[in-house]
Amino acid sequence: MNARYGMVIDLDRCTGCGACMVACASENNVPSIPQATPRTGLTPMLVRRVSNEMEGSARREVFIPITCMHCERETPCVSVCPQQAVEVDKATGIVMQMPQRCLGCRYCMTACPYHARYFNWWDPAWPAGMEKSLNPGVAVRMRGVVEKCNMCHARLHSAKAKAAAAGRREIDPADYVPACAEACPTAAIRFGNLADQNDPVSQEAHSPDAFRFLTRLGTEPKLYYKSKEAWVRALAESTSANAEVKHG
Amino acid sequence: MKVTRRDLLLWGAAGAAGLAITPVPWKLLDDVSIWSQNWPWIPQPTHGPVEVKQSFCTLCPNGCGMRVRMAAGWPVGIAGVASHPITRGALCPLGYGAHQLNWHPQRLRTVRHRTNSSSWEEARAAFAKACGEGPIAIIDGYPGRAASSVFESFAQKRGSYRAVLGPEMQALSPYEMWSGVPAAGLGYDLENAQTVVSFGAPLLDGWGTPGRFTRLWAERAAGSTDPQLRLIQVEPSFSGTAPSRTATRAWQWVPIHAGAEAALAAGLARVLLDEHLVSVSARGPMPPITLAEAADETGLSIGAIADLARTMVARPPVLVIANDGNPAIAALNVVLGAAGAPGGIVRRAKHTESYASAAADIGSARAVLIDSTVPWNFAPPTNAEVFRFAAWDGGSCTADWLLPAPGFLEELTDVPTSPASAIATYAVAPTLLKAPPGVQSAAQFLFLSGIDPTLMPVEKIIHARCADLFRERAGTLQGQDTTPVAKFASVQKLEEQLWKGAVWIGEPPRSAAFRCALKEWPATARSAQSMSSSSMNWSKAWRAPVLPPLASKLYQESSLREAPEGRNA
Repeated sequence: MNARYGMVIDLDRCTGCGACMVACASENNVPSIPQATPRTGLTPMLVRRVSNEMEGSARREVFIPITCMHCERETPCVSVCPQQAVEVDKATGIVMQMPQRCLGCRYCMTACPYHARYFNWWDPAWPAGMEKSLNPGVAVRMRGVVEKCNMCHARLHSAKAKAAAAGRREIDPADYVPACAEACPTAAIRFGNLADQNDPVSQEAHSPDAFRFLTRLGTEPKLYYKSKEAWVRALAESTSANAEVKHG
Repeated sequence: MKVTRRDLLLWGAAGAAGLAITPVPWKLLDDVSIWSQNWPWIPQPTHGPVEVKQSFCTLCPNGCGMRVRMAAGWPVGIAGVASHPITRGALCPLGYGAHQLNWHPQRLRTVRHRTNSSSWEEARAAFAKACGEGPIAIIDGYPGRAASSVFESFAQKRGSYRAVLGPEMQALSPYEMWSGVPAAGLGYDLENAQTVVSFGAPLLDGWGTPGRFTRLWAERAAGSTDPQLRLIQVEPSFSGTAPSRTATRAWQWVPIHAGAEAALAAGLARVLLDEHLVSVSARGPMPPITLAEAADETGLSIGAIADLARTMVARPPVLVIANDGNPAIAALNVVLGAAGAPGGIVRRAKHTESYASAAADIGSARAVLIDSTVPWNFAPPTNAEVFRFAAWDGGSCTADWLLPAPGFLEELTDVPTSPASAIATYAVAPTLLKAPPGVQSAAQFLFLSGIDPTLMPVEKIIHARCADLFRERAGTLQGQDTTPVAKFASVQKLEEQLWKGAVWIGEPPRSAAFRCALKEWPATARSAQSMSSSSMNWSKAWRAPVLPPLASKLYQESSLREAPEGRNA
């Protein structure tokens, strides 16, 4: 059976530490760019800070980790890409970005309602010797292409290779956990197979506190969020909640 | 046949139109795209055998368990260890990028004497000369290690040993004063507390061992209006500045005037004592402040202070945590009966060592040796000759002698109990990477200087400590499995497991109790410095002068955090 990999992010548990952002960059060989700004940086996982706009002790804040939502229907980036550099993998439900095909037109960035895509403005570079610390499972991308979360696809490959070596067709779910979910110190980010009804993540996605962002667009994102706080859930359909600097 | 200009144009146009309907231009475009993404100057990862090694982070005294993925012998990724008894799989955000630190452009590789290049021989000669001329002070950042005992042995005969203590340990110092139990033997029993009142401590943003409190908070408090673990954050509110993450995520945030923490602690104690909200045995002296004075100083109403006191004791055990050594806040714990009680401040082991603070006057020291574990911005209060070990320079370390120390994963060290822990632990972080030539640790430097022939190398001390653990046959070893130490057949087997990343967990003492003799209420003078935890975060608690390059994702390539001051990423 085909998988539908997705996440449930419990916003009540997120402290905004940023471990997911650093772990994601380390796993995927995302360079640190000295001249980058929030507009031009590469943060396939980005934690945004949103408040209830109250003052004093009534003030509440929530940290929202935003990454590719892996939209299932009418995937906007897939629809607009002139190079077929983006496709939805039917076997996993992961929206795959193929930088080798990308021409850098950035149409997909404009189309993405979640601003979860990033343009590589500079040649990736590391200080002398630091290239030894790069993850050998992930190729370094050239400047001029668009990047985004691919749910740590290299880890899926490793899990498949391990399963094949053990003579299994199916991977062990414990072998495939994206870096952000693995790094989260409060276990706010949970990863699983939404197509498997026995998967705890699939069950959580249907809990009353779960919601998805911008569902009115009908793109069926596979990233679910959770919060017991009503004002946080109300952000789901908001278009300009504490709008931050856009990138691109 | 005569070719006219018109024919040429026609053929040209027809050729271009024909080519456009073939796949050739698109294939060429695709090839150019692929080719231009593989320029020779684009770095390629190193390929080779991949293995995962267990170790411990040595970049701060918390010693978090780490799984280091190595490819071709180089570290390429770091993850937490779920079986670690304290971190439970968590690391701080900076830890995830720490494997890149050794190649940081500001890595210190040569000996420097003031602004000039120098050599180890000259540094050793200068140090030997200083030892002959007067007392030496040695300053350590992580006391309790094998290297620390090298420092202590050396300093015993030739001067003094001092430690730079983090805020978690500083906050425990008043209990040492009142009970005689060294602060290094005390810990916070967070796991059994049901109400935690933090006076400015960044509990959700870089306090203590990463993941320990945040995981407890996530499991027992997050999102609930009536949580099992109530987190109350007392913290000043500054106009124009966002409150700390801890304040905005806490069950209750109590904004007070900056510097009024001691007054609030005294006011709360007064309510608790006046209204008999605490047990008679725990009662301490009455604070010399009226509730009206406390209200005036804190900016809270009398009713709000009384309500807060009642809320605190509504769900015991209650634990008060300060962000520094403010004695009035510690005294509130004594009044609450939390000093020496489960769910409060507990005595974790028979540890009896007491450390002299490095902030105290070093006096007549002829020279000061500062270990690489001491925070980058620590400046000793002395005019003595300073020998400072550092793995990274950062342009910020001021010293007469700047001596290159081993970097991350490059040095064998042991990992004693983390400062805030309620249980005793011990682990060994083996050398996973060969240090570059010309790099030496402070303990090696003292050993090789030959000044004190009785010094033992760090490795021998670690062996001796493992032998002690085996001899005492107490506690358990937590690795892949949990094995009581008593079940090990030989010390070699025990050491083998420790070298592979297992953690020794001590047995809790028979009684965590200790008695505090608090005769009079400590001064409630206004703190000169505000204790807002909004000014604290992971990067500011980081001890090295440089941050892992990937930390730029947090503050430069996003607006998640404020940029660190004086740091180089």
